[in-house]
Amino acid sequence: MGLGTYIVRRVLLIIPTLLGVVLLIFAVTQMFTPAQRATLYIRSERQANQINEIIRIYHLNESVLVQFKDWFSQLLQGNLGYSLTAAAPVMQAMFQKLPATFELVVWSLPITVLLGIYLGVQSAVHRDKLPDHVTRTLAIIGYSLPTFWLGIMLMAIFFADLGWFPPERMGTAASTFIYVSGSWHTYTGLLTIDGLLNGQPWITLDVLRHMVLPTMTLIIINIALIMRVMRSSMLEALGKGYVIAARAKGLSNVQVVNKHARRNALIPVMTVAGLLTAGLLTGVVITETVFNIDGIGRWAAIAAGGSGGVPDIPAVLGFALFTGIVYVFANLIVDIMYAYIDPRIRLM
Amino acid sequence: MSIKSRWTEFRLGIRPALDELKFTMRQIRKSPLSIAGVVIIGIFAAIAILAPVLAPSITSDPYMMFHDGYSLIPLPPGTPISDSYIRNLGWTVHYFGVAQGGLDIYYGCIWGTRTAFRIGVIVVAIGLAVGLVTGCLAGYYGGAIDEVLMRFTDIVLAFPGLILAMALVIALPKEWSIDFGFIGLAIVIFLGLIIVGRSKKLTGIWPFMLGLLGLVAFVIVDTYALGTPYPIFVQGITLGSLDKVLIALALVGWPGYTRVIRGEILRVRQEDYVEASKAVGCSDLRIIARHILPNSIYPVVIMASLDIGAVVLLAAALSFLGIGAPIGFADWGQMISLARNWIYSGAANPWQYWYTYIIPGVFIFAFVLGWNLLGDAFRDILDPTLRRK
Repeated sequence: MGLGTYIVRRVLLIIPTLLGVVLLIFAVTQMFTPAQRATLYIRSERQANQINEIIRIYHLNESVLVQFKDWFSQLLQGNLGYSLTAAAPVMQAMFQKLPATFELVVWSLPITVLLGIYLGVQSAVHRDKLPDHVTRTLAIIGYSLPTFWLGIMLMAIFFADLGWFPPERMGTAASTFIYVSGSWHTYTGLLTIDGLLNGQPWITLDVLRHMVLPTMTLIIINIALIMRVMRSSMLEALGKGYVIAARAKGLSNVQVVNKHARRNALIPVMTVAGLLTAGLLTGVVITETVFNIDGIGRWAAIAAGGSGGVPDIPAVLGFALFTGIVYVFANLIVDIMYAYIDPRIRLM
Repeated sequence: MSIKSRWTEFRLGIRPALDELKFTMRQIRKSPLSIAGVVIIGIFAAIAILAPVLAPSITSDPYMMFHDGYSLIPLPPGTPISDSYIRNLGWTVHYFGVAQGGLDIYYGCIWGTRTAFRIGVIVVAIGLAVGLVTGCLAGYYGGAIDEVLMRFTDIVLAFPGLILAMALVIALPKEWSIDFGFIGLAIVIFLGLIIVGRSKKLTGIWPFMLGLLGLVAFVIVDTYALGTPYPIFVQGITLGSLDKVLIALALVGWPGYTRVIRGEILRVRQEDYVEASKAVGCSDLRIIARHILPNSIYPVVIMASLDIGAVVLLAAALSFLGIGAPIGFADWGQMISLARNWIYSGAANPWQYWYTYIIPGVFIFAFVLGWNLLGDAFRDILDPTLRRK
């Protein structure tokens, strides 16, 4: 099977999974009372007083099948309800808040992966020596730390005590410039890049300074995953025949490790990319809440807590649906990359 | 095998299972990390058991942290206790200080250990039980039932655990009317038809399918013929915040076990000893319970011990987000959540209120670390490909 055929087949396979994701969210909606469910169909704050009307229009008292038809057609039109905590429709709020989250992920993901691979390789090469013990201990500590407590501790040390890295997304000067001065153009929504494009490098620096602590939290929490997989696959590669052959050929240790063992050991790391995506999606909910960054993660957390004990149902379900879809697509991309690198996969 | 011959084996020390157990114990003693894990969990278990002695409770619900006044700001460790009843018990000082609202941190940490064990053990036990049944069905019988179960686990696993748990916690109603009559009748019909099917010489998956068919028929009759779910014996139950967390985490957790157990069963199903026991005429249940499970349970045990830590972390995160344990409940996550306002309070000394967030944090961290160390040690010791090396 060629790569093209494989990709087409794999893309077709996600349709049932996506449908399942949508069905599961629908099943969750069925746990609410009709009045709570009605909030999923509201488009503006004005409609919040017309709950009974909505229950009637969308047949919320009728059988599950009728309800699913209505709900699904609304979903296809992109209507996920109105979020009271964001004071905007769910879709709109999501697009508004996505860049802040995306920026956080864009910075922490490459550092996590590269540093994780480096530490994993070092750990395997120096097996049962000091670097191995240190990295393994750090990994198990990273596994056991509650994300929110780590964030709080980092903030206590680096903000409350030392005053180096403040929380939130940017300082007052930067936010005044962006929202008040009127000379700011949004190009990408990512403030670090837009700062440079606007010719205001100080904004980029300010945003970067604010991002140090949340990025650090995400890295510490997720790096253990990459490190462990890299270590074990590197250990396996180091025992393979071609590595012994390379050593016998008289190559230096650096060459053997970098050119022969590490390249082959990298493939299994991709299998955890899906888990890493999940880790990041969960991680942003906590880190954005701790560091007060206005992204989708904090929005979901606030929505779950709700205002006055009433949870913002459309926001939480919309966010859950979003993460489910992101996760499915992340796995799709991983599978395709895997098939591209390792032709044997396509034959299975 | 008679009990007597088993005893003889035991006395002579030739019982293989006992040998394996001894070997495992020896391995645990040899690895310093696993000793650390065992010690940490042992200490926490002792704290949980001795909680009423270490921190006597004065309220009707011991899981609510005890109030000593209603101080608006936290008070440092060593502050004398003003409540005369507690003083008479010989407990005079707030060892770990007082959190906002006069809540004693020491009390919360001690009883929080019980909460942590309760959450971890219950959620993992439910996950294991459901995972065992569904994993065995999927792995042993394969076919349509395998396909349906696996697609379902795919979907649940397509969500990050915390996020799905968040949605479930807010979706679960506070008052839940459960029709126990309906559930009981459904179980009776299901099991009854399986027994009838077996006595009618149906083999393999077919008695189960017959039971399933009866179940579906019963639900359809109850819903559509008798009216929208026809009530038989309805009993309302009240779900506390913590019960919701338990249910949500259990619902999120079981598919992982199902997949691991199914994979293990697929691995051993084709082994000669399974074929042999089939040839001798053992029943499916006996083959699964006596021949397949003992040979495939190890990875699940490892997973469960690692999972207790992970479940406690998830529950703490839910508490931190304000949808887990209620304020004042003896739960470490909730205590840290309560302490958030005191991290940068603007006080001259930034560490002035350190005890409100560092002490409960250390408790969570140590608890999870203990389980992770134990799980890691189990992984190396119980893995059959590594254990004799």
